Amino acid sequence: MDLRLSALNYVTSIKNGDFTVEEFIEKTLERIKDVDEKVHAFLQVSDTALENANKIDRRIKSNDKIGKFYGMPISVKDNMCVEGTITTCASKVLENFIAPYTGTAVSRLEFDDAIIIGKTNLDEFAMGLSTEFSAYGPSRNPWNTDFVPGGSSGGSAVSVSANECIASLGSDTGGSIRNPASFCSVVGLKPTYGLVSRYGLISYANSIEQIGPMTRTVEDSAFLLNSISGVDSNDNTTVEKSHHDYLQNIDAGISGKTIGIVSEMTNSDGVSTEVMNATNNSIKTFEKLGANCEEMSLGSVPYAVAAYYTITSTEAGSNLARYDNIRYGYDFDSEGFEFNSYISKARKKLGPEVTRRMILGGFVPSAGYAGKYFLKALKVKSKLTAEINNAFKKFDFLISPTVPIQPFKFGEKIEDPVSFMLIDFNTVTANLTGKPAISVPYENSNGLPIGIQIMANSFEENKLFQAAYALEKTVDLPEVPL
Amino acid sequence: MVNEDEIANVAKLMRIDIEDHSVHIKRVQKMLEYFDILDKADIESVELLVQETDLEKLRTDDHIPYKKNIIDFLKTYKEKYVKAPKMN
Amino acid sequence: MVKIGLEIHCQLTKLKSKLFCSCKADYREFEPNMNICPICSGIPGSLPLLNQNAVEKATTIAMALNCEIPEKIAFFRKNYFYPDLPKNFQITQLNAYGDTSIGSRGKISINNKEIRIRRIQLEEDPGRLIYEGATERTKITLVDYNRAGTPLVEIVTEPDFENPGEVRIFLNVLSDLLENLGVSDPGLEGAMRADANVSIEGGVKVEIKNIGSFHDLEKAVHFEITRQQSLHERKIEIIQETRHWDDRRKITVSSRSKEEEGEYRYFLESDIPWVNIRSDTKDQLKTTMPENISSKKERYISKYNIAPQVADILASDKYYSELFEKSHSENDAKDIANLITTDLMGLVDTREKRDSSKLLATHLSELVDAIAKKRITRTSAKDILQDMIKTGNSLSVILEKSDLNQISNHDELSKIISDVLLNEENAANEARLKPETINFLVGKVMQKTKGKADPIITLEILKEKLGI
Repeated sequence: MDLRLSALNYVTSIKNGDFTVEEFIEKTLERIKDVDEKVHAFLQVSDTALENANKIDRRIKSNDKIGKFYGMPISVKDNMCVEGTITTCASKVLENFIAPYTGTAVSRLEFDDAIIIGKTNLDEFAMGLSTEFSAYGPSRNPWNTDFVPGGSSGGSAVSVSANECIASLGSDTGGSIRNPASFCSVVGLKPTYGLVSRYGLISYANSIEQIGPMTRTVEDSAFLLNSISGVDSNDNTTVEKSHHDYLQNIDAGISGKTIGIVSEMTNSDGVSTEVMNATNNSIKTFEKLGANCEEMSLGSVPYAVAAYYTITSTEAGSNLARYDNIRYGYDFDSEGFEFNSYISKARKKLGPEVTRRMILGGFVPSAGYAGKYFLKALKVKSKLTAEINNAFKKFDFLISPTVPIQPFKFGEKIEDPVSFMLIDFNTVTANLTGKPAISVPYENSNGLPIGIQIMANSFEENKLFQAAYALEKTVDLPEVPL
Repeated sequence: MVNEDEIANVAKLMRIDIEDHSVHIKRVQKMLEYFDILDKADIESVELLVQETDLEKLRTDDHIPYKKNIIDFLKTYKEKYVKAPKMN
Repeated sequence: MVKIGLEIHCQLTKLKSKLFCSCKADYREFEPNMNICPICSGIPGSLPLLNQNAVEKATTIAMALNCEIPEKIAFFRKNYFYPDLPKNFQITQLNAYGDTSIGSRGKISINNKEIRIRRIQLEEDPGRLIYEGATERTKITLVDYNRAGTPLVEIVTEPDFENPGEVRIFLNVLSDLLENLGVSDPGLEGAMRADANVSIEGGVKVEIKNIGSFHDLEKAVHFEITRQQSLHERKIEIIQETRHWDDRRKITVSSRSKEEEGEYRYFLESDIPWVNIRSDTKDQLKTTMPENISSKKERYISKYNIAPQVADILASDKYYSELFEKSHSENDAKDIANLITTDLMGLVDTREKRDSSKLLATHLSELVDAIAKKRITRTSAKDILQDMIKTGNSLSVILEKSDLNQISNHDELSKIISDVLLNEENAANEARLKPETINFLVGKVMQKTKGKADPIITLEILKEKLGI
């Protein structure tokens, strides 16, 4: 039994009777026990997984109708509510918070008989891009544990990459799925805004974030998206999807398609030599596959990071206001305290990055500064959207490196906040414009992965998967050394 | 440059105890300074693009009691009221 | 010149569910915190689900107040920390990026004066802080979130009022209007609240908050004008500030928490997309809107020849006008109108009395019909009404039980009158000399018959017997 199976191959094996769900889950739990102390992907591992696996096995035996995941172990980023489990957002302020309900994306996976194997690590409240800001300690890159796994969905990427589960759900606010996918050599999709319900996702910057799959293969990404996407009466921002099976025609190829190479994201000083080389190689590959590649410009990209941080800080400042420790939270009695001082004291449990974002989030939308920062950020967002909409009249896809650099060592980038923010340079555009974007593992240089980002127009995930699948089929990457 | 007093005022507004976080001030200042790049974006005439929906798509007005007693999940006084600090 | 502006908060009590979740809009019947869900109690991961009917009801209010209604409405977050606010922000509306509030620039006439409406916004009510019930109440605050998320419409006027009297009239007109629209029951406790801003000639604007009822609002405004004028006379500067109405001492007091005044960091609530209010939707809402009070009044006067003051009372009160509409026919409209305004009004003058009343529209038409046919007297009608309100019995049941049929039988009456004349010999003699004193004898007959005697026949028989 091989834990490195893709989701689709897992399903075939279960159907063939190669092994039982219980056997696979048992081996998965052993693997977690073995490697997770090295990589720290999980904040919590399910204690009902085996029992659930056994139940599914019995249903298989009695020829019941089984959901399409056949008991596959899938991990979930710990900023999504799963009924009856502690959901921490990797923050100490929620260390005791038990979710009273399960969010839509997770409940759709469960409905299709996935087994939620555990909750994965992240930067506290998803604010970060290295998982170094988790209040419960960082996750580590399975390709080299001296290096960060990316973030904020670092734990999810690691869990898939280190073969601790078959797939994972992450969330992406400015690259939080794609960045760790690129750093850990897995496939990460940020769907179109509104395609996947956010009900149950603990908001960080609600106007731009989405839940998405993190998987071993592009097909697996489509397979998961089939389950989690579509309109949800619990989220007013969801829309009816136009495609019901993203796996259909995924191998259609990209011959004759036009691809724009976003020059601001590809030919800037911030892009490392290794990443630049990998990107150039991918362009050649795309051309070999019959696509026409052409350099193009999105003029507002240089302002995107500033707009992104302005908007996310503002929304985070408001979204995190409810963590006053009054209704729920950690153990700290309010008796005898004055209201305002109690909250300030309770919020000392917020970590340093969240604290800084709270201050920023108070600042940029405040009466005196809203015009200077916030309104301008909204306008940059709108202008960038108009630019990219215009680009998609000409191009089928836009490509760039997912992250301008390769994984870095712990503590290496954290000191300079501006260069740290700029690591998001290539990913934030898809969030600000609502477009779908996928990171596909492409090369491995000095033992560390490099991913290529492909963007498509809104709700064109089926096309996006075709391009990603075509690219994926050309690569031959090493196995994770763990 | 945004000064420390301004930052301290905002921190208070956000219920962040700045005294414990003086180490953050420099970092916040650097980030805000970077945001000044927004002044260079040519956006004067830009119209805001927003997500839209139709009235008919909104939730129908029906009373459906929630399936659980949410109070069981909250910090309470005698399992009945939410317990908050005194107001002054 | 005194300038007064108002901000009126009106709960949309006629809705079934809250503004953003399916908990009950009428929270009053529940044990504390038994009308809450993840959305209205601010549980992480929950999202606001806008109530379609709330938007429609708010639109009809905006139309009734002659507001401009935008093509799209948007919601904003007003951020501040308070324990009654489960998310520590309130979802409300604002005209920050163009007109996106449900109504703007409306107007309404009171006593031939136009009051301009600046803005109408749809927003959520916070929960409630409870001060009693805890022995440790000096150390903690108790919170009940049952009210949190109740749909509210805030109506902001321009500072067009010049005295507390105008404020009172406006509030009466407004609460009649809202009730007539079927959006709110202003009589419910806490359903209507208001803040005011007051300035005197040359002075700055002072906000008064925390006014619990319309009755107190008038008092608070009156107090504040007097306070400002007295400061002005003593040449003491009036400070621009927010004051609270102290309900116990009936004065306004300066609020201490001034530090964050106006710093609400408003920004767009993107969990709710902008909602298109199409013109055909507006047209449809307009056609289903109930007839407004002034056109109803006009109709009563011109169609039925009802006296203007009677028509006014009928039209402005939803309860009376509904009774009237259901009970009247072309012929008896005027009589029913009079019955309502002279007899019924005193009997159902409070909310409790109306709620417990068993009176039906058919009762009124039966009564008017019986009076016209002289089966009962005008005097006994009031007693019968009271009985109907209490028991819900029909006229025939009541008459059978209590013998209130009018005595119009000539022989029967003649016998009673003979008895009266025997007992009142002096009065009879006087009446023969001075016929105008005959009313005394009519009164005696009425007394003896407990008001059941037909007064006209009684008079005829009396005259005949006295030979006048």
